[in-house]
Amino acid sequence: MTSWLGYACIAITLWGIVGLFQKLGTNRMPARSLVIWLTAGFLMLLPFFWSPGTWSSLSGKAVAVGLLGGLLNGLGSWALFVALENGGKASVVVPMTALYPLVTVGLAIAFLKERPTPLEWLGIIVALAGGAMLSYETVPGETAQSAQPERNV
Amino acid sequence: MAQNKAPSSRAWLIPALLCILCWGVWGLLVKIGSDTASPEQLQILFTLGLLPLSLFMLFRLRLKVDRNTGGVIYGVLNGVFTGFGLLAYYAAMHRGKASVVGPVTGLFPLLTVALAFLVLRERLNRVQAGGVALALAAVVILSI
Repeated sequence: MTSWLGYACIAITLWGIVGLFQKLGTNRMPARSLVIWLTAGFLMLLPFFWSPGTWSSLSGKAVAVGLLGGLLNGLGSWALFVALENGGKASVVVPMTALYPLVTVGLAIAFLKERPTPLEWLGIIVALAGGAMLSYETVPGETAQSAQPERNV
Repeated sequence: MAQNKAPSSRAWLIPALLCILCWGVWGLLVKIGSDTASPEQLQILFTLGLLPLSLFMLFRLRLKVDRNTGGVIYGVLNGVFTGFGLLAYYAAMHRGKASVVGPVTGLFPLLTVALAFLVLRERLNRVQAGGVALALAAVVILSI
């Protein structure tokens, strides 16, 4: 297994568990409040990630890119909330937004001059299709989604 | 009739496209950042970058954040697991191509679907079952 794939699988595992917590959490409080507690979790990790050399070894470019990354990721999540609130069906919007890596693929090819091998292209296409299909959740009577009785575990 | 429907579809379509754009660009930024910064450094910056938005949300909630104990625990755990997942994501981006790592890490609903089936007894629909097969196929293809 190539080294990047091992790390990618760790990310899939941890984020997959987050998806479950998300389901369990939104049964108990609105998503907007959950976001605040998620940020609290992020903040709790900071002392563990911080070391005396953290700032001195950072380039200005890395700082700009890192900060902008956090902001864009948050904005993306916020836009998804808005799409769902503005009448977008979850079964359409969520699989659609799962196609976001398509943008990364395009940008990496255009700006970083990445050239995936034919086999990698096959993997990319299969992964994109799989990711979108996995996110397809059907909710009975979707327009009345909020009125659905939530399952408590 | 179609004209009457158009504005309502635009109301969600534009934010959905904005979401795709934001998350897609984020992948590129992570790849660029991971060339020089460590995963821990990137996560610190990510958190600081996210903070203004979270504070904005906090004020929009008029500082009234729900404190249901179970919800708080799941929310904080979400942050902790997402944070550690991000560390692995940065490490993967540092070692691989953004054009490949992006789509593969996007397969995380694979585990959510499996866990929702096991823990919450949610049933997979046929599209999701197809997605499971494709997701596993993608990982196998890219591990060759």
